[in-house]
Amino acid sequence: MAERDLDDVLRRMSQTKVNRRGFLAAAGLTGTAAALAACSPSGTSTAAPSTAPASAAPAPSTAVVETAAPSFEIEKELFMYNWAAYVSPDNMDKFKAEFGVETFTYDVYDNNEVLIAKLQGGASGYDIAAPTAEYVPGMVDEGFLQKLDLSRIPNLEYINKTFKGLWWDPTDEYQVPKDYGTTGILYMKSLISKIPQSWKEFYDMVKGEASGKTVFVDSMGDVFVFPLKMLGYSLNSVEKSELEEARKILLDVAPHLYALDSNVYGQYMKDKTTVLTLGWTGPLGQELKDEKAAGEAGYVTPSEGTLFWLDTWVMLADAPHPNAAYAWLNFIQEPEIQGVETNYNLYATPNDKAKEFVDPAILADTAVFPPDDVIAELEGAKDTSGNNQRIDIWEEFKQAVGG
Amino acid sequence: MAAIAPGARTEPAGGRLRSSLLTTVLLLPAAIWYVVLLVLPLLIVVVFSFGTRAKNGGYAPAFVLDNYARALSKPEPFIDSLWMSAAGTIGCLLVGLPIAYFLATRAGRRKSLLILLLVVPFWTSFLIRTYAWILILGPGVGVGTIIGSFFGQGRVDLLGTPFAVLIGLVYGYLPLMVFPLYVTLERMDRTLVEASKDLGAGRWATFRQVTLPVALPGLVTGSILVFIPMMGEYVIPQLLGLGRTYLMGNALVTDFLDARNWPNGSARAVFLIVIMLVTITLYLWFVNRGRRTREVSVL
Repeated sequence: MAERDLDDVLRRMSQTKVNRRGFLAAAGLTGTAAALAACSPSGTSTAAPSTAPASAAPAPSTAVVETAAPSFEIEKELFMYNWAAYVSPDNMDKFKAEFGVETFTYDVYDNNEVLIAKLQGGASGYDIAAPTAEYVPGMVDEGFLQKLDLSRIPNLEYINKTFKGLWWDPTDEYQVPKDYGTTGILYMKSLISKIPQSWKEFYDMVKGEASGKTVFVDSMGDVFVFPLKMLGYSLNSVEKSELEEARKILLDVAPHLYALDSNVYGQYMKDKTTVLTLGWTGPLGQELKDEKAAGEAGYVTPSEGTLFWLDTWVMLADAPHPNAAYAWLNFIQEPEIQGVETNYNLYATPNDKAKEFVDPAILADTAVFPPDDVIAELEGAKDTSGNNQRIDIWEEFKQAVGG
Repeated sequence: MAAIAPGARTEPAGGRLRSSLLTTVLLLPAAIWYVVLLVLPLLIVVVFSFGTRAKNGGYAPAFVLDNYARALSKPEPFIDSLWMSAAGTIGCLLVGLPIAYFLATRAGRRKSLLILLLVVPFWTSFLIRTYAWILILGPGVGVGTIIGSFFGQGRVDLLGTPFAVLIGLVYGYLPLMVFPLYVTLERMDRTLVEASKDLGAGRWATFRQVTLPVALPGLVTGSILVFIPMMGEYVIPQLLGLGRTYLMGNALVTDFLDARNWPNGSARAVFLIVIMLVTITLYLWFVNRGRRTREVSVL
């Protein structure tokens, strides 16, 4: 009796444990993004006035309709799988109106792994996704992506050459560059003696005046950029001796870190709990917006060079609405439309012509659009997750964080 | 299994057949659920733990022991998790036992209300409640700073310390400890306590010799209920530990997401499964022993 009750509880418990662990892992990673997505205006936009197909009254502002291969019939639906708040809701509405798309579904992930895991799990039904470039070759290998008919995306001509013919897609047939950015150093000016201009200066400050007040983002690829670039190596290095040197530096700074965190590091700086962060520019447009306007919070790309990431538009192999997807890929690279995108998501666009339509303040912001001399020092990431030495170092580093 | 009800023995054969058929049908959904969502996933984890990493990450079939060698060469997260879970379980006991005792014996008419209050927080997302602890433990308006100000300290930041993780664990799993304890204590025969006092035992002796033995089944159940999930906890060390504590949950995330090496992660997870099996075996042993001693005392 009593035992049987307990047995039941125990059995139920052991079941929930398994489910729960899966849930927790997912919750930990997607939780914040899900919360953001829930708040963000772009999360799953639907239910627009579905009555007026565009053909009746073509929008006068753009000539997109003409260029988008009129011989294809555009489907009434488009399913997009993307990062949270990464596409302007105005543009989505415009797209729906112009092409007579009635249902525009926008689902979010906050991690390339989640996207790939979903596809590996057999998820289908999505037309378009936006993986980071270094994940594209793997996705091509697995047969997840469709080879693009470039003649149907004439607006590709506006894409800067820097972003073409790169190792992840030498023939540029599987992806269309979307937005790019860098990994660098965020600082709070009045709380430090000087703004670190190089990884070396950053290194000394983390061990010195910023000890206990520095955060690194919880992202393996980004953290490795700092020691490897400081030493003058490729950030994708898998050389044993080079990685060993990097390991020593990482273990040297680990005890001086306040946290390893990719979600709320902007808030720590706002609270003045921390003064330096190895991270991304995101918080400057969010938590640190006021501080940035006041010239207090800022971002530098270190002189030894750093990583640039590029998010790309891809079409999934089993896309149920390929014509709507092509229409989207071309539509979004229309300079005026792309300008609206950049003003909305504050990430640099690889579309040269679109810069004419970007708010001059954003265009002048070196945190968003790196100056040419910085661009020259940028290096794209490779997928090095299969290198065990890197994983071992990363794990050792994580255990040493905070001392 | 179905025929153990004493009345069933006297029933005609047809009735027994029908009742056992009915039992089978009724048990089927639970059995399927159990197999598909518990046994099968555990088996998959074990199978994966012998595989290798596929070229683009994930799992490729193989039979190698490398993953176990690797997992064994890095025992630190596992050991840290063991310590943390043990401390968390003891914490839950120290906080949960008085609460359960009060609810079972002293709460009176307020009992239902108090139990409701204990449950209400769990209608809110676990993640949000954990985020709330960031404020409480953080340097801004947190308890550390408030208490510290009495001693002339400045901002005191408890976040990121093992203490913060421990607080989070105890807070998160407390009800799983309180309810089993409450159930056993509520069923306790109060006259036993009176008898003990009549026989001259003090409060402590009564607690030790009467209340505690009675509460023991609930105590063991509660401890298992909190200990096992704590071993695999990820969100709490990640959020309240600021990435400064590296437990099994964090290690699994490194394996599955950073390295995309499912076999390595699976081999590590097998150690968690082993811990679960060991604890449950101990539990069953305890229950059986309890039954035997009771039979002896009846004789």
